[in-house]
Amino acid sequence: MKLWHSFSKELILSSKSWYFYIELGMAIVLLVILVFVVPEDFDSKGKDYLYLDLPQVVQDRYMKNLLEEDLDTITEQVELEADNQIYSAKLYETKESKIYLLESREALDAISNSERVPVVHVRVNEDQQIVYTYYLQGYETRKLQNLLLVYHNRLAGHDVIEDYSNRIEVRRLYEDSAPLNDKENMIPVFLTFNGSLMSLFIIAAYIFLDKSEGIIKAYAITASSVWHYLLSKIGVIIVTSIMTSLIITIPIMGNQPNYPAMMLFLVTSGFFAASLGLLLTSFFKDIVEAFGAMYIVIVIMIMPEWLFSYWQTIDSKRHCPCKGASQNDKKNIHYIFTGYENQCKELHHLVHSCCTGYFCRPH
Amino acid sequence: MIKVKNLYHSYNNDENYAVNDVNFEIEKGEIFGFLGPSGAGKSTTQNILVGLLQLQKGEVEVAGYDVKHIKDKMFNKIGMSFEQSNVYSKMSGIENLEFYRKLFDVKTRDPKELIKLVGLDGKENTKAGKYSKGMKHRLTFARSMINNPELWFLDEPTTGLDPSIAANIKDIIKQENEKGATVFLTTHNMYIADELCDRVAFIVDGKIRLIDSPKALKLKYGEKLVDVEYLKNGELIKEQLSTVAESEKARIVEVISNYDIQTMHTKEATLEEIFIKVTGRGLV
Repeated sequence: MKLWHSFSKELILSSKSWYFYIELGMAIVLLVILVFVVPEDFDSKGKDYLYLDLPQVVQDRYMKNLLEEDLDTITEQVELEADNQIYSAKLYETKESKIYLLESREALDAISNSERVPVVHVRVNEDQQIVYTYYLQGYETRKLQNLLLVYHNRLAGHDVIEDYSNRIEVRRLYEDSAPLNDKENMIPVFLTFNGSLMSLFIIAAYIFLDKSEGIIKAYAITASSVWHYLLSKIGVIIVTSIMTSLIITIPIMGNQPNYPAMMLFLVTSGFFAASLGLLLTSFFKDIVEAFGAMYIVIVIMIMPEWLFSYWQTIDSKRHCPCKGASQNDKKNIHYIFTGYENQCKELHHLVHSCCTGYFCRPH
Repeated sequence: MIKVKNLYHSYNNDENYAVNDVNFEIEKGEIFGFLGPSGAGKSTTQNILVGLLQLQKGEVEVAGYDVKHIKDKMFNKIGMSFEQSNVYSKMSGIENLEFYRKLFDVKTRDPKELIKLVGLDGKENTKAGKYSKGMKHRLTFARSMINNPELWFLDEPTTGLDPSIAANIKDIIKQENEKGATVFLTTHNMYIADELCDRVAFIVDGKIRLIDSPKALKLKYGEKLVDVEYLKNGELIKEQLSTVAESEKARIVEVISNYDIQTMHTKEATLEEIFIKVTGRGLV
C-alpha cells in the first residue's frame, strides 16, 4: 500500500511539473514530424547515369528493353542540372532504380563531377564489342570494384554469378509479416529516444528536485522503505514513457504492433535508463554537477556504434586506393573500369544493386 | 529512550572526528536539549540517531532499536522536525500531511487538526511553495507529529518564527511532552532550552562538555545576587546585594520597605553565560 501511495503521489507531483509536459510535448512534436515530415517511403532508389555511345539500332534495342521494365512504360524526358548547365536526359524508373540516359559525354562528365556518383559510358569498340567504362568516385569498396570486373568477364564472371544466384533459396520465416514502411521504421528510434534517453535525464531531474527541497530526508524518517521511494519514481517514469510511446505509435501504426512486446521493451528500457539515472544522482549534489557524468554515460552507451562505424571505415580504407590522398585529390580521382558485356538489361540491376549496398538476384 | 555509548563519526573516515566519544542517555518522557554552536556536532549526532547518517563507531539505541540495523518500524515511533523546511512545494499543506500519514503503520493524527494546531488553518489548501518561510516551518513541524511520535526530534523548532508563533510552538512541545513524548531538542537558542528542557548537554567540537538540568547548572554556576534600583530623595540609587549573607538579606528587606523600587533583578546566570563559562566558547 505504501508503494501505491508513493507511486500515486509521484504521479500527482509529476503531473504538476514541467518535465511531464516536456515529455508529452516532445512526443507530440515527434508525432507531428512522423505524420507531416517523414514520408512513407524514402526515395531510396539508386540513380544510374549512362551515356549510350552506341549505334542508333543498338540504342533503340537498349531503350526498348528499359521501357519494358519501366513502371509506367513511358519514357520521361527530364532536365538535369550539373556544373551550372542544364542537360536533357531520358528517365526510366524501374522497381529498383532510376536510370538516366544522357545525351552526351559532356553531360556524363558533368554529372560525375557534380553529383559525385558512379557513371557509365557504354560504347562499341573496333571489334564491335560493347564496352562499359565505369567512372567511379573513389569511395566505392573493393568488393564493388571486384564485382564489376568479375561481372563483365564473360569467361569467369556472369555465368558464375547467375548460376550462384539462381541457387540461392529465400524463405520467409514469418509468412504473415510485412515489411515496415520508412515512416514506421522510424518509430523504434523515437521510442528509444523518448523512452530511455529522456527517462535518464528526467528521473535525475526529479531526484535532484527532491534533494534541493530536502524531501529525501523527510521521506527517510518514515516507516516506508527507500525502495518504495525509488520504485515509485521509476514507475512514474515508465508510465510516462508508455504514454508518450502510445501517443507516437497509435496514430501511425494503429493496431499493427505487438503491444505487449512493445510494453515489455518500454518497461525494460525505461527501468534500465531510470536506474542508471538514479545511480548517477546518488553521486552528485545537483544536476549541473551530474551533467558531465551523464555525458560520459551516454558516450559509453553509444560507443559500440562508434566502434562499429570505425571498423567499417578502417575496412573500407584498407581497400580504398585513394587512402592517404587529400580531399582535393580524391575529388579528381576517377577509377575507370572497363568491361565487356552485351546483356545490358542485367547490368543495370547489378550496378544499381551494388551502388545501394544490397545484392539482389538479377532478373 | 535513547542510549548513546562511545559514539564517533568522521566525514572523511579519518581521525578528524565531527563527533568524538559522545555518551548520553535520555529517559522516556524527558525533554533533552542538545546545545552547541554551529559545527559543534549537534546535527551529526542527531542524523546518526535517526539513521540519516550511517553509524560508524559506537553503540546507539533509539526507541528500543539498534541503529546499526535500522528497521522501518522504528520510524513509527519517531518524528522529526527539520531546521530547513522540507515539504513538497507543489502540494498543498493538507496534501503534504495526507501523503505522509500513509507512510506509517500506526494510528496517525488528523491532518486538519494539526494544521489548526500550528495556526495554518485557512491556508491548508494553498500550495506549500506559496507559503512564507515561517509557514513552511510550521508545516514541517506539524508533519513531525503526524504519527504521534514517542520520540520527537526537533531541530531548531522556533528558528525564523515570530515571537507569538514561537510561543505557540513551545506550548505544543510542552503539551506533547505532558502526553508522554520524549523530546530531543537541538538548538543554539539557550532561552528555549532553559524554558523547555529537563536536561541539557553542551557539545563543542564534537565532544560533550557537560550534561545537567538547567536549574542545577544555574545553582552551580550562577551568582546569588540581586541588582536593585530605587529612589531616595528623588535620586536613583543602584545597589547589588547578596541573597545569602544575613546582613545583605536584611538590607534587601529594608530597601523594599522604605524606598520606591524602580527595578529589581536576581543575578541568576543564564544558560548562555554558563555555556561560555564551561566551554570557553560563544554560541554563534
